[in-house]
Amino acid sequence: MRFLNWLAAYGPSYGSGLGWTALIALWASVGAIVWGSVLLLIRLSGRRWVNLAVEGYVQLFRNTPVLLSIYLIYFGFPLIGVVWPAVICGGLALVLQNGAYISEILRGGVKAIDLVQFDAAKSLGLSGWGTFRKVVLPQVLVYALPSLGNQVILLVKDTSLLSAISVAELTMNAKLLTEQTGAAYEAFVVVAVLYLLLVVVLELAARSALRAVRWRPRYDAL
Amino acid sequence: MLRLLLQGAFYTLVLAVAGIAGGTTLGLLLTPLGFLRARPLRAFYHVFIFFTRGTPLLVLALLIFYGLPAMNFSQGPYVAGTIVLTIYSSAFFAEVFRGGVLAIQRTHLESGRSLGLAPLAFLRRIIAPLALRYALPPYVNVCVMMVKASSILSIISVWELTLAAREIIERTLLVFTALGIAAGLYFIMCFGVDRLGRRVERHLMRRGFVGERV
Repeated sequence: MRFLNWLAAYGPSYGSGLGWTALIALWASVGAIVWGSVLLLIRLSGRRWVNLAVEGYVQLFRNTPVLLSIYLIYFGFPLIGVVWPAVICGGLALVLQNGAYISEILRGGVKAIDLVQFDAAKSLGLSGWGTFRKVVLPQVLVYALPSLGNQVILLVKDTSLLSAISVAELTMNAKLLTEQTGAAYEAFVVVAVLYLLLVVVLELAARSALRAVRWRPRYDAL
Repeated sequence: MLRLLLQGAFYTLVLAVAGIAGGTTLGLLLTPLGFLRARPLRAFYHVFIFFTRGTPLLVLALLIFYGLPAMNFSQGPYVAGTIVLTIYSSAFFAEVFRGGVLAIQRTHLESGRSLGLAPLAFLRRIIAPLALRYALPPYVNVCVMMVKASSILSIISVWELTLAAREIIERTLLVFTALGIAAGLYFIMCFGVDRLGRRVERHLMRRGFVGERV
C-alpha cells in the first residue's frame, strides 16, 4: 500500500529521467555500433602497426572500468579547453568503451565466415563492395546479432553511471527523490522496474531483428 | 599520490575477491534450483536471475546502500559493497554454472547413469568435472567483469581505486595523471586475472581435466 501511494505521488516525475536514459542509450548505441564498425574496417584493411594500435585500444578499454573513462572525459576535457555538457561527455565514454567490444563481436562474425567463400565470391565476379553486401554482411548479421543485442543491453545499464557526473537520467532521478523524500528503497525499486522494462523491450527487438535477417534457403532462386 | 592509488588498488582487489568468493558460493547454491523439478523453485531461480542481471549494478548498489540502514542493518560501506557484489555476481556465476551443466552431452549423462552411480557420486564424478570444463572460460570472464564492476561502488562511497583517483582529482586537479595511473592499475589487475584463469585452464588441461572436446 505504501508502495502504491509512492507510485501515485512520484510516478510521473520519473518521466524526464526515463526520456534522458532512452535518449542517451539511443545515441550512444548507434555511435558505438558505428565506431565499432570503423574499428573493424581499420583492422581488416590495416597494416601491422595499425592493427597493433587497434588491438591495444580494444584491450585497454576491455580491461578498465567505464566509470574511469567517464571521469577522464568529464574532468579531463575542460582542462584541454573542450567544455561539453555532461551528457555528451558521458555518452562519448560509453561509445568509446562499447565500440571496442562491438568491434570484437563483429570481428568474430567475420572470422566465422569460411575463407573459401571469398574465393567463391571472386569467381562469381563480385566486386569488393558486392562481396561485402551479398556475402559478408548477411552472415555477419546472423552471427553477431545476439551478442550485439546483449552489448546494447549492457550499454543501457551502463547509462546509469552517468548519474555520477550529475546527468539527470533515471538513476539520478531516483537518487534525488530518495534524498528529498527520505524514503529508503521505493525510488530505486521503481527505477529497477523501469530498467527491466527497457531490457525486455530490447531483448524482444533483438529477437525479432534476428528473425528478420536470418538466412533462409530460397528454393525459387535455384 | 602513487601510494594512495596503490592502496586503493589493494582495496579494489580485496572487494573483488570477496565479491567473487561470495558470488561463487551463492551461485553454486542457486544453480541446482534451476534444474529442480519443483516449478516454484525453478521460477524463483529465473526471476532472481532476470532481476539481478536486468538492473544496473549501480541501482542495486543504491538500493542496498539506502535500504540496509532502513532495515536496521548498517555495517559500513565495505560490508554493503561486498553484499552488493556478492548478489550481483551470484546471478552471473549461477548462469555460468548452469551453462556448464547444460553443455554436457546427453550421452555422457546416460552412460554415467547406466553405471548405476548414487546421485551424489553421479554429481561428483560426472556432472561436476564435465561442467567445470565448460564453465571455466566464462567464469574467468565474469571475474574480470567483477574487478571492473567494483569501481561502481565508489559512487556509494566505498573507498577503493576509483574513489582514490577522484579524491586526488578534487585536491590536485591532476586529472590525466591520476586517472592514467588508476587505469593502468585496473588494467594490470584485470589482465592478471585473465592470465591467471588461462594458466589454471592450461594446468587442468594437462591433467586431462578441462579443455579438449570429448
